[in-house]
Amino acid sequence: MKNQKKADICLILEGTYPYVEGGVSTWTHELIDTQEDKTFHILSILPREGEVTHKFSFPPNVVGHTDLRLQNLKKTGIRHARSLKALEGPLNNLTVGRAHLNDMQHVMRILGQFNTRPGEYELLDSEEAWELMESMYEASFSESSFLDYFWSWRAIMGGLYSILLSPLPEAQVYHALSTGYAGLLAARAKLETGRPVMITEHGIYTNERRIELASADWLEENFSRSLTIDDTRLSLRDLWMDAFTNYSRIAYEAADEIITLFTGNQKAQLADGATPEKLKVVPNGIDVERFAKIRRTPHERPTIALIGRVVPIKDVKGFIRTCAMLKEHLPDLKAYVMGSREEDENYAHECEEMVRHFSLEDVVEFTGQVAIDEYLPKIDLVVITSISESQPLVILEAGACGVPCVATNVGACAEMILGASDEQPRLGAGGAVVPLSNPAATAEAVYTLLTDRDYYKSCAEAIRQRVTLYYSKEQQHIAYDALYSTWMAAQTEAKRAEG
Amino acid sequence: MAGIGFVIQKLTKKDDLLGVFRAYTHAAMASTGPWLFTVLALIGITQFFTSSDPTDLNADFGYDNFRIVVIYNFAFSLVLSAPVFMIVTRYIADEIHKKDVTNTPSVMLGSLILLYLIQLPVVGWFYMFYVDFPLSMRIAAIVNVFMITSVWALAVFLTALKDYFAVSVAFAVGMITAALSAQFLKDSYGEAGMLNGFSFGLAIIVFTLVAKIFSEYSYRLDRPFAMLPHFRKYWELAVGGIFYNAAIWIDKWIMWFAPEAIKLPSKMVMYPDYDSATFLAYLTIVPALATFMVSVETHFFERYQRYYDDILGHMPLRRIRENQQRIIDSVLASARNFILVQGVIAFLAILLAVEIINLCDMVYTQIGMFRFAVLGAFFHVLLLFELIALSYFDSRKLVMRIQIVYFFANTLLTLWSLNQGFPYYGMGYFMASMLTFGLATFLLFTHTRKLTYHSFISNNNAIIT
Repeated sequence: MKNQKKADICLILEGTYPYVEGGVSTWTHELIDTQEDKTFHILSILPREGEVTHKFSFPPNVVGHTDLRLQNLKKTGIRHARSLKALEGPLNNLTVGRAHLNDMQHVMRILGQFNTRPGEYELLDSEEAWELMESMYEASFSESSFLDYFWSWRAIMGGLYSILLSPLPEAQVYHALSTGYAGLLAARAKLETGRPVMITEHGIYTNERRIELASADWLEENFSRSLTIDDTRLSLRDLWMDAFTNYSRIAYEAADEIITLFTGNQKAQLADGATPEKLKVVPNGIDVERFAKIRRTPHERPTIALIGRVVPIKDVKGFIRTCAMLKEHLPDLKAYVMGSREEDENYAHECEEMVRHFSLEDVVEFTGQVAIDEYLPKIDLVVITSISESQPLVILEAGACGVPCVATNVGACAEMILGASDEQPRLGAGGAVVPLSNPAATAEAVYTLLTDRDYYKSCAEAIRQRVTLYYSKEQQHIAYDALYSTWMAAQTEAKRAEG
Repeated sequence: MAGIGFVIQKLTKKDDLLGVFRAYTHAAMASTGPWLFTVLALIGITQFFTSSDPTDLNADFGYDNFRIVVIYNFAFSLVLSAPVFMIVTRYIADEIHKKDVTNTPSVMLGSLILLYLIQLPVVGWFYMFYVDFPLSMRIAAIVNVFMITSVWALAVFLTALKDYFAVSVAFAVGMITAALSAQFLKDSYGEAGMLNGFSFGLAIIVFTLVAKIFSEYSYRLDRPFAMLPHFRKYWELAVGGIFYNAAIWIDKWIMWFAPEAIKLPSKMVMYPDYDSATFLAYLTIVPALATFMVSVETHFFERYQRYYDDILGHMPLRRIRENQQRIIDSVLASARNFILVQGVIAFLAILLAVEIINLCDMVYTQIGMFRFAVLGAFFHVLLLFELIALSYFDSRKLVMRIQIVYFFANTLLTLWSLNQGFPYYGMGYFMASMLTFGLATFLLFTHTRKLTYHSFISNNNAIIT
């Protein structure tokens, strides 16, 4: 923890910047870099233990940095245990019920009644805490493994308390880059300071946790759910999932502005309790100029490309099947698979087998990870067969240099290819959107685009225009600049009104 | 992907609950071994080498010197080696739990070195500078204390490894040799000869045990002081151990300053009447010790294991509570049995005190002390069971506190009884044992009622460290 000068914006990050490389971290670094007239305080939420190293060096407008270790509570020599019975109601709402911002406020008020800031002993280790845990267990989980409940309860409560009790840096605007613990901290900032709170969600936090929990085999179930249909007993997975869902709802309730990359995500946000008037889309943008400069070079074979890692989620096998169907009608087709094969070597191997099986050795070529700029000149069409995506930038990068795209209807693909529902004037289709896991439909769309010259040209033009108009980096930066300025001004105004 | 959901997994995996309990159970048994051995050896020596006429001090100087040195050496070595004894016991139990005992011979050598280093300053000063002895006697006394200490240290290793038979045989052969050679050397070499003869018998025990340990494990000298970090981790065991052993001796030490005690020309003091009366009283608890072992093995252990197995087997709290009740029932049933058995024995011993004293060739002035000591031993042994039971639950701090209380209770009440005069001699030990037993009973039941809380929180290494 360093020095702390009051910042304009406190960015709240969970498990990402500046310690973990990846999409959100790169995005954050760029955001700070481009908003150079504003100062930032970085609050990184980290797991309880484990070494971390900086993967990014802070731009000069980062004026403060705080690490918040989850579940890391004050360890006191002097113990002030007191009954925690009052916490049971709001905590039950937060874990197995349907929680609202006032439940969190309720918890904060009770924690405030301790003479000194309560620590690990008072909240987790005391007999009073034990009674609270037993009581919560009996109420909803009396048939579940007590051992697993115990650790889950400690982890969930420890996480919650550490968010509620850690020092909160001062800033004019609080901006969380996910819901979950980051959103929870933003909600606390709202309750404590009344200042504006923004949330930007790239992926939907609750969806990501749901996937993670579904594959967590450490949560053992003792009872068989198949015996009765109307089994209302809760499993420990429900405990975790309900807690995360509640955290999202609380964060949405506290937020003044909820931003995501594309409208598709908003359905999930609305389902988790966000109100429509707070929702806003700010898509990610690309360096349009860089890609617009790339000149297409004449080539003989009609060429398509799947640009992405060779992993199941990208459905590379579906792409190969599409190629097999296309080859019958377009014998001189060329298809690149551009992306790393190292992440799932088994899958990559199976894909290569499939290519041999369909005798596509002459058609499909695995290039490995390559610079997209070098290949774009000879690619006619980008194909995305993924079963899950958020906002794949490759559609925009190809689009900027006039390459249309055929993509499955996932994430922001339809919005980028066909235009947002409120696009004015309508620019038209920049390619085609096809159903998931349907090689025949994909093949047909690709065939049409590659054979109908006029249609192809109109798509190329539409996607180029759309990218230039709506998906440039500058627009993304202007949008955030405007958001920050608006909320900072609102805060200044509120302060003045207070006198 | 933002988020740190992965922490969840790490936290739930920490199932450090059971820890080393199971291995520790058997090791805890070992703590009663030295006590019994001491009692038997001292009674044997007091009876075997007692002076024929207690009023004629000059007649049997050599015997008294021999006896007093042995008693002092048992006291020195039990109290001073207690911390090492407790820590090494725990270390070996941990190693067995981890299924890696390759380091055992090294740690055995390391412990011996450590024990000698701790005792040398005290014993060296005492025999070389404080008491007035010929040089041969000084050296024999120091050799003897090291032999006694070695026997303790080695017994820890063998009992922890559960080879009861080898230990018993070694002890029997050694003690018979000790008695015979002490008797044999008495005439030619006097008091120092007796002491060396006794040490020779102990040496037989020591070397047999060393050989046994080396034959059981491949010899490899590597990290002999690997148990040292345990002193920091389990400091309560070390502190508790020293207080408990001092508590056992403090009433004797205080009584050595009674007006009726004798002061030898060597400046050493003792009160043979009190000592032999209490040692004899200790013998009354042997049947209770035996029933305790059986009861633990058959009743308690099975329930105890079930309790922890079900926790780790992901059972719901309802089942854990049922198991907890079964443990409480077992403790209550056992307590009732012990109190009954031991009560009858104590009652008979008190009733037949005169006959027993006569039978053992002791004097009538010891009758009162013997009766108090029998009552004291009755509560003492029950207290010991409670301490062992609490050790099973790994509540080290609680055990340590009770041991400290026992020490101070015995100190203060023995001082009080000494002050009250001869009829009260022995009452201090009795009252201290009774009061501490009362306290320990209360704490044991409070603890068992909150067993699940303590198992998960206060005695859970995954949380308190």
